[in-house]
This record gives sequence, C-alpha cells and structure tokens, in this order.
Amino acid sequence: MPKSSERLIRSRVFYSLTIIIISAVALYLLLALRSLIVPTIIGMLAAYISSPLLTYQRRKGIPKSIAILILLGAFGFIIFVIGKQIVNIVPNEKEKLELRIQVQYKLNEIYLDYMDMTDYDSEGNFLYDLIGNETTPFVKTVNMFLMLDDKEKELFKKYTTGYNNQPPVNERIIEYHNVNKTLPFTLTKDLKKDANSNSITDEIIPEPSDSKLALIINAISTWIVMPFVFIFLLIDDGQIKKYIINLVPNKYFEMALTTFENVDKAVGNYLRGTFTQCSLVGITIFLGLLLVGFDFEAAALIGIVAGIANAIPFLGPVIGLGAGILYALIVDGIDPIIPYILPSNPVIGVLIVVAIAQAMDNAVFQPLVLGKAVNLHPLVVIFGVTGGSILFGFIGMLFAIPAIVIFNVITSTIFKQLKAYYLIY
Amino acid sequence: MNEEQSTTVDTIWSNVFSHFTKESEETKFDVLKRIPILKDLSKRELKEILKITYERNFESGEYIFQTGQPGASMFIIEQGEVVIVKKNEKDENVELARLKSNDFLGELALLDNSPRSASAYVEKPTKTLAIFRDDLLKLLENNPDLGRKVMHRLAITIGYRLKATNDLLLKKEKEINKSNNA
Repeated sequence: MPKSSERLIRSRVFYSLTIIIISAVALYLLLALRSLIVPTIIGMLAAYISSPLLTYQRRKGIPKSIAILILLGAFGFIIFVIGKQIVNIVPNEKEKLELRIQVQYKLNEIYLDYMDMTDYDSEGNFLYDLIGNETTPFVKTVNMFLMLDDKEKELFKKYTTGYNNQPPVNERIIEYHNVNKTLPFTLTKDLKKDANSNSITDEIIPEPSDSKLALIINAISTWIVMPFVFIFLLIDDGQIKKYIINLVPNKYFEMALTTFENVDKAVGNYLRGTFTQCSLVGITIFLGLLLVGFDFEAAALIGIVAGIANAIPFLGPVIGLGAGILYALIVDGIDPIIPYILPSNPVIGVLIVVAIAQAMDNAVFQPLVLGKAVNLHPLVVIFGVTGGSILFGFIGMLFAIPAIVIFNVITSTIFKQLKAYYLIY
Repeated sequence: MNEEQSTTVDTIWSNVFSHFTKESEETKFDVLKRIPILKDLSKRELKEILKITYERNFESGEYIFQTGQPGASMFIIEQGEVVIVKKNEKDENVELARLKSNDFLGELALLDNSPRSASAYVEKPTKTLAIFRDDLLKLLENNPDLGRKVMHRLAITIGYRLKATNDLLLKKEKEINKSNNA
C-alpha cells in the first residue's frame, strides 16, 4: 500500500468526520426548512417536465441561457394567469356574504325538493320517512354555519344599496336572503360562536382588503425558492449527477451510471406522461363545462382542480366530479350551448362532461401518453393514497402515487443492474 | 479489514474528495486531445466532451471491468497501467494487451451494452477518464456535427483493431499449419 498506515488512519478520520458533520447539518436544515420542501419538489418537477423542451430549443440552435429564459417566461406567464384567476375567485366581504346566502338557499331548496316538502314543518315523502330523522338535524347544522348573524345582516343590508365601493347586490340574492330569513332556524349563542369560529373562509381571509396582499406575500416568501430550483436544475450540466456518481465505489461505477440513466428515463417519461395526461383531462373538462354553459372562470377553476386531482388514481376523478357538482348545485342562470341540456339540470351536464373526460382518459390519453407506464396494484394505490393523506394531507395524497412509482422504478432498476453486473444472484 | 475492502474504501474516498484535489482542466483536456476517436474535434467540442467525463482513480489490484458485464463506458488512461486479460479453459488469466497513459479501452461500449469480451485489471495505481455511452449519445443528439466526427473516428478505430486481429489470426493460422506440416 503506497500510503503509510498513520497517514491512512488520519485520512479516514478526517473524511469520516467531514461526512458526519455535513450529514448532521443537512439533516438539521431539512427539518428546519421543511416548509420549503413542497416548493422545491414542484420546482424540480417543473424542471424535469420541461427538460425535453430545453433540449428541443438547443437542437434548434438557441443558446442555453436564452432557451432557459424562454421556458421561465412561459412558466411565469402561466403561473401569473392562473394566479390572477385564483386571486379573482377569492371572494371579498360582499361576495362572501352573497355566497353564503346563495349556498344556504340552494341547500334548502334541493333538500326540500328531494324530500318533497314545502317547508320544514310539512310532511315529507317516503325518503323523508326513511332517513329524515338523521339528515334534517345535519342540514340544520349546516344552515347554522351558513346563516348570517345580526351584524352580518346589517352589513348585507348596507351592501344591498351599494357600499364600500361595491355595486348593489343582485336582486336574486336579496330574494334568496328574504327566503332564508323565513327559515325556522335561530342562532343560539353557542352555535353562533361555533359557526363563526369554524367558518373556513373567515379563518383564511379575516379582512377583505388586506387578505389578498397578505396571502400573496406569504406565498411569495416560501415559493420564491421554486423558480430558483427550476433555473438551476435546468442550468446544471450534469454536475449534480457527477457528484452523486463520485460517491460510488469503482466496483459499482458503470452499474450506477446505467441505473441513474434508466431511472432518469423511466421517471421522466412517467412524470411528463402524467403531466400531459392530467392537462388533457383538465382541458377536456374545462371545454365540456363551457359547452354545458358554465361561466369561463368556474369552468377554468373546476378544470384545473379536476386536472390536478386526476394524478390521484381512483379518487382524482371523484374530486373533479365533486367540485363540478358542488358548483352545479349552487349555480343558477346556466346557459348551455348544447340545447338539450336544460338549465335546470347542470348536475347532469357535469356528470356527462366528467364521464366523457374519464372515458377519453382511459381510451385515448393514457394509452397515448403513458404507454406501458408502471401499473400498480389497486390495493397499493389505495394504501398509498390513504397513507399519503394521513402523513402529509392533500399534498401527500397528490404525491403518493408518483413517489411509489419512482421508488418502484429505482429499486427494480437497481436490482436488475446488480444482477446484470454479477454483483448479486 | 481485508486488502480488497481496504482498497475499496480508499478508492471511494479518493473519488469522493477528488473534487477538492482535482488537477487542472487543461491536463484532462490534453489527455482527451490525444485520443484518436476525439482527434478531429475543435477546442469548443472537446470542452463539451470534457463536461461529460468522469474522473476515476483505481488502486492496483482492482478491475475496471470484468468479462461478461454489460459495457457502459469507455475509459481513457491518464496515468498508470492496465492489463487486458481473458480466462482460458484452465480458468487462468491470459494477458492480451498492456495499456499505458493515453491509451483507451472499452470503446465498443460506446455503441451498445453488449457484454465485455475481456477484463481490465489495474496493475499500478491508475487515473482514468470515463465517458458514459448515454451521456455521449445525448451530446451527439444535441450536436450532430460533433456526433458525425466522433462516430466516424470510432468506426475507423474499430476497423483498425479488426484488421489487426485478422492479421494476428492469419499469423497464428500460418504458425499452426507450419507446425502441422513439420
């Protein structure tokens, strides 16, 4: 051995200590900065998905820096347009009151209609006899959450004639409000307190004027990481891969390179395929809802939600359908482009649109874009999605399947390569 | 810790920390320039190739690759000595060639992943530059002109080696015939 044993020991101690210190600092930073994990992952995914676009531009002779700027500009534009839509949809004080009145009115209308009742004191049909004792208290509780208290009623009264630089409230909403007032529900002190503290919109948006700004600043402070991750991953010329490969012993060098490449290809194809598939489903639902007569903003929002949720197998389509039906239930004034879908049944319209989108997804989009992508057993999917939601909420649910697929691809490729290089039996 | 383990540990550390002690890019650049496959490339094109090379340090006694393993990269010897060996019917290593600085080995792996036909054994501590097939193919896809030059030279190199093997085969055949006649 060329090195003296003392020098060898010293080197090993030095190298080991360096590794331990770096690992400890990395672990601490990972825990302390965990709010940055999701923006980082999204930045990574965006870079991964768009890397073929970068290759395409470079092949056309566009310099790398300009190609990255073009991609960043395109992403920035898309995020700006979507963000603007979302900010527009976030209701202000007046819109919140209107929404609550409308939802409460529609809820009671639909419930009484299904139970075949004129009001809550009348006799219902067989369905009411069957489940009325259980459902009516529930509907009453939801009413308690939605109904306006005295202060809010006063505020609404001001808005009816125009207040706070807002136009007067629509006649239809005033009519709904008057009907709601005749309902046999009164807010008890406790329930009122409950209703106020549990109102989701109140918690998120306490004040209408500051809320949007606060929301944007809060989002920017953590999400600023995302474009940086995106840019630096695209700028990277293989240095990250080189660094990782340097950690590998000589015996596993070629195996590691092949594994890295195969995993990269498989994961890239899967992620890009899923992204394309979800986008196509979202666009189909958006166009379908426009045809059914939904207004542009609502159709776009439901399309985006359904598209994103489509990444979750089984549950995704249900979320998209739920969002559509929820909107269909409370909306009025639907003006369908297709004549035989009547304004009175937007729910059926949503059902048809979602069914067509799912049929197209299964028959065209999936075979076309995903090809022979990794097929997971339904049980794995169910456990994955449930486990993901328990551990990390909605984000966990959304990323559970891609995470399982990536893990599956990595382990199966490593095993395959270890066997090919005669390193295991 | 036996000798093989100790060699592995040392090479891991030297590869991991080579980042901090690596020699100037010019030295590696000079090495690449001398390789016949990369002979026709301009300075700018060689810099592109340099970006996809991996520096690997081997201790004596290590194998760079072994017979039967799928080929994935070509190795250029920067410093040191490598012996190409193949096992005979008696399971003994027969030396086929001895390669030194500026020689290269495993170039067929740049074409496909067919199994290595011989093993490369390191006799002295050796510094190599490795070029991975898929990295090179990606580079050639983005830069067709560079691709044409590399592939043309690769075909010429393989042709020369095939010709040399044929000559050797003919020589051996003649020797066998001679001994049979005698």
